Amino acid sequence: MFRRLLAQDLTWGILILALALGLGLQSHWPLVRLGFKGELASRLDEWRDQYRQAEFGEIQTVNLKQAYALHRQGQTLFIDARPRSEFRELHIAGAINLSPEDLQDSGDQRLSGIDRQCQIVVYCGQQNCDASFEVAELLQAQGFSQVMAFTGGFRAWDEAGYPVDIAP
Amino acid sequence: MPGMRLGTRLTLRRKDWLAAFLRLALGAAFVYAGIWKHFYPYQFTETVMAYQLLPQPLVGLSVALVPWLEMVSGALLILGVKPRSCLLLIQAVLVIFLVILAITMLRGLNIDCGCGLFSERQVGLLAILEDVLLLGLAAWLYWLEVQRLLPAR
Repeated sequence: MFRRLLAQDLTWGILILALALGLGLQSHWPLVRLGFKGELASRLDEWRDQYRQAEFGEIQTVNLKQAYALHRQGQTLFIDARPRSEFRELHIAGAINLSPEDLQDSGDQRLSGIDRQCQIVVYCGQQNCDASFEVAELLQAQGFSQVMAFTGGFRAWDEAGYPVDIAP
Repeated sequence: MPGMRLGTRLTLRRKDWLAAFLRLALGAAFVYAGIWKHFYPYQFTETVMAYQLLPQPLVGLSVALVPWLEMVSGALLILGVKPRSCLLLIQAVLVIFLVILAITMLRGLNIDCGCGLFSERQVGLLAILEDVLLLGLAAWLYWLEVQRLLPAR
């Protein structure tokens, strides 16, 4: 009896799955087609740039090479916008941890000792995270004039073998 | 013993109410999760790609299928249409996701799981625990539905 029920349930399950696939293909066909053409990743980069332009248009960005050059000069403050647990695991050498939540909760206290003219590079986990832009925007609103977002994020830095620290 | 029978009936009725409530909650959670993915396909595509598990054609197909699978199975579960089949589909989705979470954790990737219903959550033990709890709930609800139809021994 149970087997008969299970077979019946599975048959209907497959029909519901087919319905969901049909609806999905119908509503997201352009995306599926991009996937089959192998253009999803590059189009995603374009979408991300457009979204960031619209959301955080005024935030300057730096790439891996530029971020490393600034780090070597030693005049730039690096801010890690990732959650505390990830920062404690590993972060760019000399960076301080300040996530968007930290800034919203206790931003005034955390920023009290930092010069408003100081050059700041903010980063988060990888290319697709927006926490670095959120923090950069909040810092600008607090009067910091030289804030940049490092778009490659910690993953690009780590993969390049550049200097990192564990928790202070 | 009429008193005992009444007690058993009351317990059963309470269990039925609990099951009905949890069935609605599970269905609603899946509909909500599906709606979010459907209306934010760009963010969902990024989430799927961050797992670095699927080739691009399968990423595209997943982005098309998963939101509708969650919305349809969740909505039908709420409406009580083929609830057992919906619960089987929900279990299948949760098992596949559990495997993906385990592989991602073993690979040491720190990424957003795309599974936090009301807040962002990283791939980790909390996400696995949530998945296991939902899987247990779906399996229990399925078993209750089946038990109702099986002849009493």
